[in-house]
Amino acid sequence: MMCDFFHSLCADPVNAIGGWFVLLPAAVLLLAAAASVVLRNLIHAALCLTLSFIALGVVYLALGAEFVGFVQLLVYVGAVAMVIVFAILLTRPDELERSRSFFAGFGPAGGAAAALATLAVLLGAIFTSPTGDRPMPPAVAVPVADLGKALMGDYVVALIVIGVLLTAALVGAAVLAMEDEP
Amino acid sequence: MNLPGAGLIQGLAVTARNFVGSYFEKARMTTEQYPEERPKLPENARSFPFLVFDGDDAEAGMRCVACKICEKECPPQCILIVQDRDEAGKALKRPKVFEIDIAVCMSCQICVEVCPFDSIRMDQDYELSSFDRFAPLVLDKAKLLKSNEYYQSIHPTEAAETDARLEADRKKKEAAAAAKAAKAKPAEGAAG
Amino acid sequence: MNLLERAPIELKAWLLNLLGVFGVPDWALAILSALLIIGTVIAVFLGLFALTSVMERKILARVQNRLGPNRVGPFGLFQPVADGIKMITKEDLVPRGADPIVHFLAPVVMMVPALLVLAILPYGRDMVPVELEAGILYFFAVGAGTEVAVFMAGWGSNNKYSVLGAMRAIAQMISYEIPLVLSAIVAAMIAGSLMPSVIVAAQGGFAFGFVPQWFVFTPWGFTAGLIFYIGALAESNRSPFDLPEGESELVAGHLTEYSGFKYATFFMAEYVGMFAICGLFVTLFLGGWQAPLPFLEIIPSWCWFFGKVCFVAFTMIWVRATLPRLRIDHLLAFAWKFLLPMSFAAFLAAACWHYAGRGALGWGMSLVIVAVPYLALGTSFTRRFAVSKRTYQFSE
Repeated sequence: MMCDFFHSLCADPVNAIGGWFVLLPAAVLLLAAAASVVLRNLIHAALCLTLSFIALGVVYLALGAEFVGFVQLLVYVGAVAMVIVFAILLTRPDELERSRSFFAGFGPAGGAAAALATLAVLLGAIFTSPTGDRPMPPAVAVPVADLGKALMGDYVVALIVIGVLLTAALVGAAVLAMEDEP
Repeated sequence: MNLPGAGLIQGLAVTARNFVGSYFEKARMTTEQYPEERPKLPENARSFPFLVFDGDDAEAGMRCVACKICEKECPPQCILIVQDRDEAGKALKRPKVFEIDIAVCMSCQICVEVCPFDSIRMDQDYELSSFDRFAPLVLDKAKLLKSNEYYQSIHPTEAAETDARLEADRKKKEAAAAAKAAKAKPAEGAAG
Repeated sequence: MNLLERAPIELKAWLLNLLGVFGVPDWALAILSALLIIGTVIAVFLGLFALTSVMERKILARVQNRLGPNRVGPFGLFQPVADGIKMITKEDLVPRGADPIVHFLAPVVMMVPALLVLAILPYGRDMVPVELEAGILYFFAVGAGTEVAVFMAGWGSNNKYSVLGAMRAIAQMISYEIPLVLSAIVAAMIAGSLMPSVIVAAQGGFAFGFVPQWFVFTPWGFTAGLIFYIGALAESNRSPFDLPEGESELVAGHLTEYSGFKYATFFMAEYVGMFAICGLFVTLFLGGWQAPLPFLEIIPSWCWFFGKVCFVAFTMIWVRATLPRLRIDHLLAFAWKFLLPMSFAAFLAAACWHYAGRGALGWGMSLVIVAVPYLALGTSFTRRFAVSKRTYQFSE
C-alpha cells in the first residue's frame, strides 16, 4: 500500500498534490524530531520538538482530520511546548552538562548500531503487517458535531474520568506550588 | 451599591468627557504649536548679552566705552574686548572688537550688573542654533549691537528705569555745566 | 445597495474571467483567486495597522488634552510613513551573546500566526477567505504560535529582563487563554457550530422587528463578551495588561533587544493580532457583518464588519487611555479567580437560556446565574486587596 502511495505521487505529481501535502510535513516532522534528539543546545532541541509538533498537526490536517489537527496544534504547541519551555526557563541550565550514561562508553558506533537495529525491527514489523494488504476504508470526513456527540454520548465516561484526572493534577499542582503559611 | 467594575466605568466616563471636550472646549488644549505660536516669555527672561546703542547709528550711538570691566568680571571669560585707537595711537573710548562666545556664556548677568555705562544688557532671543559648533556661536560687535528701542520692547520696565536715570544724569550734567558757565562768565566779565 | 455589497466578489470574478479569456489555465486561475483574496486581506489589515498606529496616538493625546502628531501630512495621517522610514533605516542590533537563529526567527514566528488567523473571519456576506468547519478552533490553535514566538524573543536575546518579560508574558497569555476560549465556546454552543459564518447567521434577524439579536444583548452573551474582550486585551499585551512590554517595568520585556525592522515586525504582529481578535469578537458577539437596524442594511456588510472592528479597536484604545497597568500577581489572580468562574457561569447561563426555550424564563434564569457569581466574586475580590494591619517580625 505504501509503495502504491509513493508510485502515485511520483507518477502524477500535479493531481496527487494532496499526497505531497502529507509527505513534505512528514519529512519535516522526521527531520525536526531527529534534530531535537541530536542537537546539543537545549533550547534549539525544544524548538525543534515544537516544530515537530506543528508538522504533525499539518500532517493530520493534510490527511483530512481537521479537528484532530487543530487540537494537536492547540494542545501540543500551545500547552505542552509551553510546559517544556517553562521548565527550561525556570531551571536555567546555563551550562549543558553532558551526563555520561551507561551506554555512552560505546561511542557513536554503538549508538548508530542501536538505532539501526531499532529501525530494522520497526521496518520489518511495518512491512510484514497484514494492515497494508487490507483495502483502505473510504475516507469519511467526520463533522465536528458528530465528534462532540460521540464524546458526550458513547464516550462520556472516559471524558469525565479524564476530566477528574486533570482536575486532580491541577489541584495537586496548586498544592505543590502553594507556600506554607508563615 | 458598590458594584465591582463601577470604578472602571466612571474612569471611562472621565476619559470620554476629556476626549469629547478636547474638540469643543478651547480651554482644554493648552498645546502651543511651536514654531507657529511662540511662547510668551516673562519680562525677566534672559538668554545672552547684547550691546545697546542710542539713536539711529549703531557705531556712533554705542554706549560702550571699552572700559573692560565686564571682560574682567565675566566668570567663564567669554567676552573679548579690544580698545579702539586713533591714527596717533591714542586710546579711544570705544571698542574696536567686542566678541561674546555664546557657547561659553552662562547667562549669569554679571556683565550687566557691573557695567557702569548701562551699555550691555540681556537679550531674550533663544533661536540661535547653527550648523557649526564654534565659529557661528561667537557673536561679534555688529551682531551684538541692538537699538535702545529694541531694548525697550523686550524689557520695558528695566529700559524705562535706565532711560529715566540716564535722562536725570544728563540733566544734572547740563545743569552743572550751565552753572559753571554762569559762574565763569561774570568772573570773566569781572576780570575783563 | 446590492451592487456595492457584492462589489469585491464581483470584481474578483470579473478579473479572473478576463484572465481566463486570455488563456490562463484553470489551475493558475484557482491559485490566482486565492492569492487575490490573501493579498486583499493582508493589504486591508496592514493599512488598518498603519492607520491605527497614528489614530491611537491621536486619540490618546486628545484624551490627555493635547494634540497628537499633526506635522506629517494632513492631521498627521502620514505619520506611519515617517515611522516606517525610521524603523527601516535604524541599525539592526543583535546582542553578542544572543542566539542568532532564535533571535532572528522570533519576529517571523510572531507575524505568521497573526496573519494566518485572518483566514477564517467572515468579512461580509459570503466573504470568508477559508470556510473551515472548526474555524474557531483554528483561530485559537494558530494563536498558540504567538506564545512560542514570545519565548523565542525572550530567550534568544540573552538578557535577564527579556527572559523575565517573556516568562511573565507567557504566563499572562496562557492564563487568559482559558477564559477567552471558554467564552468563545459559549457563543459557538448557542449557535450550534464552530463555523464563524454559522455563528454570524445565528445572530441574524430582528426581534420585534427592530432589535438586533446579537449575542452581546443577552445576559450570558454580555458576560461572555466582556470576558472575551478582557481576554483579548490580555492576549494582545495591551494596557492594562501590558506589563510584559511596559517601559517602566522591564525596559521592553521580551522586546528589549530588538531594534529597527524586527521591532517594527513585532509591533505590526501585535496590532494585526489585535485586529484579528477584535474581528473574532465582532463575529462571535456583535453579529459579525450584520446591520443593527433593518433599514441600515443599505450599507454593505463588509462596511459594517470593519466599522464594528474599528469601533471595538477604539474602545481598546479608550481603555488603554483610562486604566493603569496591572501588576503581575493582580493580573493572574484576576484571570484565575474571577474570569474563569465567571466564564463557567456564563456557560451555565447560556445553557439554561437555551434549554428553557429562549423565552422570558430563560432570560431571567440566565440573568440570575450570571449576576450572583459576579456580585459574590466581585465583592470578595475588592475586599481581598484592602490593606491589612501590619505585623513587624523583627522590630518588636
